[in-house]
Amino acid sequence: MEIEKLQDRTNVEKLTTVLYPVLFGIFIAVLWQTQILHKILGTDTFTLPLPGRIISIIGDNHATILKNVGATLIVALGGLTAGSLFGYLLGIISTAFPKWGAGGLTVVSAFNAVPIIAIAPILNNLTKDFSKDANTRSMLAKMLVVMITCTVAMSINAYRGLTELKPFSLDLMQSFAASKLEIFFKLRVPNSVPYIFTALRVSVPACVISALVSEYFAEYIIGVGRQIRENIVLAQYATAWAYIFVACAIGIIMYLILLTLEGILLKGRR
Amino acid sequence: MGKIKKALLSKQMVIAYWVLGLVVIWEILAVIIEHTKRTPENVLPHLHQIAQSIFSKDLVNMDQTALQIVLSNTGITLQRAGIGFLIGIAVGYLLALIMNMFSWAEKVVFPYLMIIQMIPILGMAPIVLAMTKDINKSRIVIAALLTFYPVATNTLAGFKSVMKEKHELMYSMAAKKSDVYKKLLIPASMPYFFTGLKISAPMAITASILVDTLQGGGGLGCMLSQSLKHAMTIYVFWQIVFLSAIIGIASYYLMSVIEKLISPYKKVGR
Repeated sequence: MEIEKLQDRTNVEKLTTVLYPVLFGIFIAVLWQTQILHKILGTDTFTLPLPGRIISIIGDNHATILKNVGATLIVALGGLTAGSLFGYLLGIISTAFPKWGAGGLTVVSAFNAVPIIAIAPILNNLTKDFSKDANTRSMLAKMLVVMITCTVAMSINAYRGLTELKPFSLDLMQSFAASKLEIFFKLRVPNSVPYIFTALRVSVPACVISALVSEYFAEYIIGVGRQIRENIVLAQYATAWAYIFVACAIGIIMYLILLTLEGILLKGRR
Repeated sequence: MGKIKKALLSKQMVIAYWVLGLVVIWEILAVIIEHTKRTPENVLPHLHQIAQSIFSKDLVNMDQTALQIVLSNTGITLQRAGIGFLIGIAVGYLLALIMNMFSWAEKVVFPYLMIIQMIPILGMAPIVLAMTKDINKSRIVIAALLTFYPVATNTLAGFKSVMKEKHELMYSMAAKKSDVYKKLLIPASMPYFFTGLKISAPMAITASILVDTLQGGGGLGCMLSQSLKHAMTIYVFWQIVFLSAIIGIASYYLMSVIEKLISPYKKVGR
């Protein structure tokens, strides 16, 4: 009897955990569709179009939207991959030369606080000669911006993952007369895997955001972020909102993919 | 001899060597660009040229030197970022308190706090501007939005980090709920709260500069885009790049200093 009661309670707990947020979401959507939200925020349906209209615009323009999503995804994923690999490499180098590496990482982490806005125009100018094609060279500039933001998170976490080992594990390896290379591949690298995901949890949302912002400053007009801005300049608010919806969807989907991967790869490790 | 060698290899010196290395790389690139580009100062000027422009007395516009323009606009930007930051802290902390007090509130809000992290709020800057119709207000709103969720999630994590035994101790002493918060939960959440502040302070400044670029009306971002369009000397741009980097890093350290002042006995291992 008692156990049944307890089970009932956990079931209710589980149900409300899902139910409450969903109800809240529906509540906001209703407020939005019935324009009560507009009254609260003091705007009109021109600047904040109804959800139905935004969705229909996404449906109507899906070809153009997909093209821009593609451009943004290439930048975000390219930068994420390059930045994470480079960051991990920095982590390895710092592990090999701890004295110099730790100081270097302090300098790298300072880059974290530098606004993207300051970096984007510099890289635009630096990559001018890279290609005759404006699309290619601005793609490279945007990717470099994303890469810088992703490098920082990965290098610091990789260094921690490669050096913060379980107590005595290093001694154990040494007592087996393991070479430095063996210690690296059999102890340090596996140890760093959870830390890689900690870094990715930061850099996956960050790569989308910095891709969008770097598009603002890019030479060639393409990408979800740029479309938001361009459509606002043209006072096409409904279209801009459609792109905002898409941008949010990109961020959320990428994060969900990451969480799924983490669940599969780190099964039983947490 | 040993002492000198030790001093030369201390942590501070290692960082200094790294900074020196970056300066050398910058200068090498600058020399290359000086010989290959027609307008090297647009792409990558020498550092001494930027330093010179800081101290030059030439008027850039009607009545200000480059440095005066930059500094007066920094004031505008920082003030707005600061107001938004403070509002964001207040809202974030309150939200964390409410979520900790009422479990239904946590259930409703927490999933959305997770989702909001993945939404590119900087990408929404133009639409906030369209809704508030006032650049100053939108700056404050965006800075507050970017501040509130790191503060809320981190503070909540701080409340949750308190060990069960401590709760039981308070309970066994028949402590009132207000006392539990005053003497146990709020002090325990402080390190986490400051972690949130350290994340959000540079973000609030980045946001404020980005919103500046959307419209005229002063501020660092506005000057940055004007300088890039060659409405004034390009060195205004370079000064802003360095200044915004310094402000971003300084805001991070300012939070650490405030943390040490408020809770001097707590060493945070995070």
